[in-house]
Amino acid sequence: MSVLEMKQVHKVFGSGHTKVEALKPTNFSANKGELIAVIGPSGSGKSTFLTIAGGLQPPTNGYVFINGRDITELNEKQRSVIRLKEIGFVLQASNLVPFLNVNQQMQLLDKVKKDNLPAEKLEELYQTLGIRKLLNSFPADLSGGEKQRVAIAKALYTNPSIILADEPTASLDSDRAFEVMEMLQEITTNSNKTTIVVTHDTRLINYCNKVYNITDGRLSLQTETAQ
Amino acid sequence: MFLAWNEIKNNKLRFTLIVSVLMLVSYLVFLLSGLANGLENMNKAAVDKWKAQGVILTEESDINLPQSSLSLDDYDGKGADEFASLAQISSIATSGNNKSNVTIFGIDAGEFIMPNITEGEAFQNANEVVANDSLKEDGFKIGDELRLSSTEKTLTIVGFTDNAKFIAAPVLYTDLQTLQNVRYGEAAEVYKDQINAFVIRTDDLSNVDVKKELQVVDTTTFIENLPGYSEQSLTLTFMIYFLFVISAVVLAIFLYVLTIQKISIFGVMKAQGISSNYLARSVIAQTFLLAFAGVILGFLLTLVTGAFLPDVVPIIFQYLDLLTYGVVLVFVSILGALFSIQTIVKIDPLKAIGG
Repeated sequence: MSVLEMKQVHKVFGSGHTKVEALKPTNFSANKGELIAVIGPSGSGKSTFLTIAGGLQPPTNGYVFINGRDITELNEKQRSVIRLKEIGFVLQASNLVPFLNVNQQMQLLDKVKKDNLPAEKLEELYQTLGIRKLLNSFPADLSGGEKQRVAIAKALYTNPSIILADEPTASLDSDRAFEVMEMLQEITTNSNKTTIVVTHDTRLINYCNKVYNITDGRLSLQTETAQ
Repeated sequence: MFLAWNEIKNNKLRFTLIVSVLMLVSYLVFLLSGLANGLENMNKAAVDKWKAQGVILTEESDINLPQSSLSLDDYDGKGADEFASLAQISSIATSGNNKSNVTIFGIDAGEFIMPNITEGEAFQNANEVVANDSLKEDGFKIGDELRLSSTEKTLTIVGFTDNAKFIAAPVLYTDLQTLQNVRYGEAAEVYKDQINAFVIRTDDLSNVDVKKELQVVDTTTFIENLPGYSEQSLTLTFMIYFLFVISAVVLAIFLYVLTIQKISIFGVMKAQGISSNYLARSVIAQTFLLAFAGVILGFLLTLVTGAFLPDVVPIIFQYLDLLTYGVVLVFVSILGALFSIQTIVKIDPLKAIGG
C-alpha cells in the first residue's frame, strides 16, 4: 500500500473567465523509503500539489489517501489531526516559533501529541542533524542552515510517515543545501519515511529516487532510479 | 500555558507594558471602589451605628429626616423589639478658631442608639454632647464649648465616639431636651415632644404598626434617600463599570495587535497540526497571566497608596469588594481575548505559509 496516493486530483481556482486550473487531473503515489522531488518553475502548481498532499487544502475533485485513509472526506479539524500524526512539514521559510528555543520547539510538540520519538531517538536525531549544541538557542540566533536542520528535527520528532518539504534549501548556500538534502536522504532511507521535496532547484534531483516535473499544473514523471 | 508563558518570558518589554496598563486600570478601579465606600460611609456611618432595621417617618416627609416631624406620643413600640426616638438638626459648630459643619442628634441616653464612648464620658447634663472623633482632627477636644450657628446656646464636648457621620457631617449626640432648646429656644417647652423619627429594631418590619400619617421605612431605603447619596454612589459605580469595559477593550486591542503580528506563526503551527483549540487556550492562559499580574500589582499599589493617604481623604477599602472587582477585571480581560481567538480560528494555514 502506498503511503501517499492521489487519484484524479484536480484543483481549480475561480470560475468563468477568472478560472485557473492550478493542478490538472493528477495521479500520484509514494511509498516508504522514497525521496521524491517535484520540480517546476514558479507558478507551475508545485505548492498546490504539496498543500493538497499535506491536507492543507482540499482538491476540487479527486481523492487523496494517506496510509489508505481518504483525507478529502475529512473536515479541517480531522485533517489537522492527520497532519499532526502523519505528516512532517519542512517549509521554505523557517517554521520555527520565534520565542521558543530549540528544545522548547520539541516540548511544544509534546504538549499536543503524546507518542513522539522517545528521548534516546530524539538524542540520536540531534546528533544526526548536528544540532545538539543548539538546544538552548532561539531561532533568531541560528543561521539559515541551522534553522532548516532544526525544522527537519521538528518535522521528524512526531515520527510522521510522510515528510513534505517546500523549497527546503531556498534560503541556503549550495554547501548547506546539499547538506540538508543528504540528511533528508539519510533519514528517508534509514527511518523508512516517505519524503517529497518540492523545489525549483534542479541540483537537488541527484538525491532523489523519483523526480516529477510539473508545468502548468500537469505532473509527469521525469526520472526514476532504483532504491 | 507553555506557549503563553514562554512568549511572555521572551518578550518582557512588550508584556510589561500590557501588564502596566492593566495595573493602572486595576489601581483606578480599586481606588474608586475605596472612594465610593468612603463617601458612602461618610453619609451613613451614624445610621449603620444604630444597627436598626427600620425608621418611622411621616408620610409627607418623602423619607427625608429633617422634613419629618412627629411627636413622642405617635408611636408606642407596637411590633418592634426596641425603638428609640430621634430628633435632628444641622448646624455649624465653632470653638475658638475651629469650625465644622455638624449634625446634632437629640436622643434618649437610655435607648439603643446611644453611641459607644471612645474617649471622655457620656452626656449626663444639659448642654453636654458626645462628638464624632473626626472633630479631633479639626482641633476640637473634650471641654471645648461649641457655639452653634442657629442659637445663642453653647454646648460642651464631654466625650467622643467613632464612626458617627451623617450626610458627611460629624454627629454631636445630646439629650432630647438640649436639642429642643437649641432648635426652639424659648419655645422649647412647647415643642418638647417634637422629634423627627423613631428608630426601630425588629425581625419583621411588616409587624410594625403605625398611624396612617406615618410610614415605616427599612434602613437601606432610608440610606438611599439621604440627600445626594444615590447620585454619588451611582456616579462612582458607573465609573467603575466603565473602567471594566475600558479594560476589556484595551486588552482586546493589545491582544488583537499581538495576534495579527503572529498570524504567520499561528498559521505554521496550524499547518503542523496544532489545533486552533490549543492556540486559543494559550491566548486565554496568556490573558489570564497578564490580567492576574496587572490586578495583583494594582492591588499592591492601592495598598501602598492607602497607607500614605491623609485621613481627610474618605477612602475605605473593603477587601471583599476589591477581590470581586479583581475577579471581574480578569474575567472581562478574558472576554476581550475572545476577539483574538476568533481571529486565530479564522487563520488559514495555507495562506499563512504562503501557499
